[in-house]
Amino acid sequence: MTFNPFIGRIGVLVFIGVLILAVSCGKIHIHMTKISTSDFKKGIFILFKNENYQIVESTHVNPGKGSAFVRVRLKSLKRGNVEEFTYKSGETVEEIPIETREMQYIYKENEKYVFMDPKSYEQYSLSKEILGEQAGYLKEGNVYQILVNNEEPLSIRFPKKVTFKVVEAGEGARGNTVSSGAKKSVKLENGMSVEVPLFIKDGEMVVVDTETGTYVERG
Amino acid sequence: MKTWKKLKENPKLWDRYFVREKVLRETRNFFLKEGFHEVETPLLNPALPPESYLEVFETELIFRDKTRRRAFLTASPEMSLKKLLAAGIGDCFEICKSFRNQEDRSLLHNPEFTMIEWYRVNADYRKVMEDVENWIYYLAANPDIQCHCESDVTSDEAIPSGLPRHFVPRNDKLQNSGILTYKNKTLDLTPPWERISIKESFQKYAGLDLDSHFDLEKMKKAAKKKGYKVENNTWEELFNQIFLNEIEPHLGNEGKPTIIYDYPKDMAALAKLKKSDPNYAERFEFYLFGIELGDAYTELTDWKEQEERFKNEVQLRKKLGKIEFDYDRDFIEALKSGLPDCSGIAVGLDRLIMILSGADNVADTLFFPAVELFS
Repeated sequence: MTFNPFIGRIGVLVFIGVLILAVSCGKIHIHMTKISTSDFKKGIFILFKNENYQIVESTHVNPGKGSAFVRVRLKSLKRGNVEEFTYKSGETVEEIPIETREMQYIYKENEKYVFMDPKSYEQYSLSKEILGEQAGYLKEGNVYQILVNNEEPLSIRFPKKVTFKVVEAGEGARGNTVSSGAKKSVKLENGMSVEVPLFIKDGEMVVVDTETGTYVERG
Repeated sequence: MKTWKKLKENPKLWDRYFVREKVLRETRNFFLKEGFHEVETPLLNPALPPESYLEVFETELIFRDKTRRRAFLTASPEMSLKKLLAAGIGDCFEICKSFRNQEDRSLLHNPEFTMIEWYRVNADYRKVMEDVENWIYYLAANPDIQCHCESDVTSDEAIPSGLPRHFVPRNDKLQNSGILTYKNKTLDLTPPWERISIKESFQKYAGLDLDSHFDLEKMKKAAKKKGYKVENNTWEELFNQIFLNEIEPHLGNEGKPTIIYDYPKDMAALAKLKKSDPNYAERFEFYLFGIELGDAYTELTDWKEQEERFKNEVQLRKKLGKIEFDYDRDFIEALKSGLPDCSGIAVGLDRLIMILSGADNVADTLFFPAVELFS
């Protein structure tokens, strides 16, 4: 077949047009890279059943006789729930590349947490489903690392430890039903409760682990 | 914080760790009452069964005259026990440490783990199924094994309320005879348990008639329709992927533990084929709360087939870049001399102890977990 320059040019123009249209509609995820199961690790974002997910946990499974699998727990960025899937070892998936941007948390509105890029004053929001219980760690005015793909905020990376003021320490008489003896439940300025040693008093600062939600030390 | 420090600071934690000694003691009692011999076989071996899917620990034995021999830490006592069976010991069991290298660095894996392996002579896998049910029921019904579990929370790891559910402590314990609660789920361990064949499970949970899918192309088509990737995959990989995604999560999760039996023959090379349907072999696994605890066979007694399989596995190990070693000729010799009809099982005790003590992970049942030692 001979090349017809006319049809060729139109073809190219149509192709570019469709591409621009598709990208602007967000139908084509051009910001993707293929990764193999050996690249899986906690915290990365992948495309699973055409939706965005974050890997929460990844373990190898060997049911015997040579075949190997990787079982992952995936958090849906749309619904916030966690699902399990088992990949064949070596299977490839699309990774969603992430850039980290520092943004200031400004307010909560209709189940959404709104952040502002201090450079561009552009506002971005994260849903209640994505933040889950960790939303309690947000303080208005503070700057956080927001994980962004293609101008779409996907998640937030909290510092490992945050410090909060104790607003209701009690006397230690509110003994806990949880575990060892020398513990009591106190209320923090953000409304969360945390188990702390008995010596913690009203107004003191305590350091909390954002991943486990547990008391670490005096602030 | 190291476990010994946690224990020193919070003596209530000892109870959870003592579940292990009770399980070991009562397990011995159970099998001794059943008339088994308890044996000890070497942890340090000149050869291991070649298994292509696991990596071994290699070391070196050096005699005073500087003669050197390669040596390996055992990955299972199976070969030694079968030599004893060939020699005529009869029903026997061993509780021992086993070693696997290159596993995940996780709280659920420990590179050295405790295994019980037992064999019944003149018996098939049905007898071992009964053993499993009776043994675990015996442990669960034993009031001494009840763990009034302290949560894993020590002073530096307190649990706040109003946080995700998996951070909230659970009241995991054996409530009364035979009823076991773990992670807010309950199982009745009273025998008999749920028994389902692989074939039935594929029909029930995956909507797939396994009998008409032994052909690779047909299996590929079915797997593809389900949304799995099916490029250069073997039949076994596709089978396992469907099993792991669609079937395994149901097992031992619906009121009773599950015994799942009769595997496709290619997935049970050391098991006897079923007389009634030679597409399947007499192998079973059992599950509590979706966790696989043991793998059993009506043992293959044919030395030729065994040697053939060893040779294949040695080749496969080489191809996969695993530590190479020859198979144990002495073991083949023992099979040649005549292995009695027998059936046996290997059970990971750490996982069982984890469940019985209400612990979240295996590391929380060990005084010195590897994640802590090698952190």
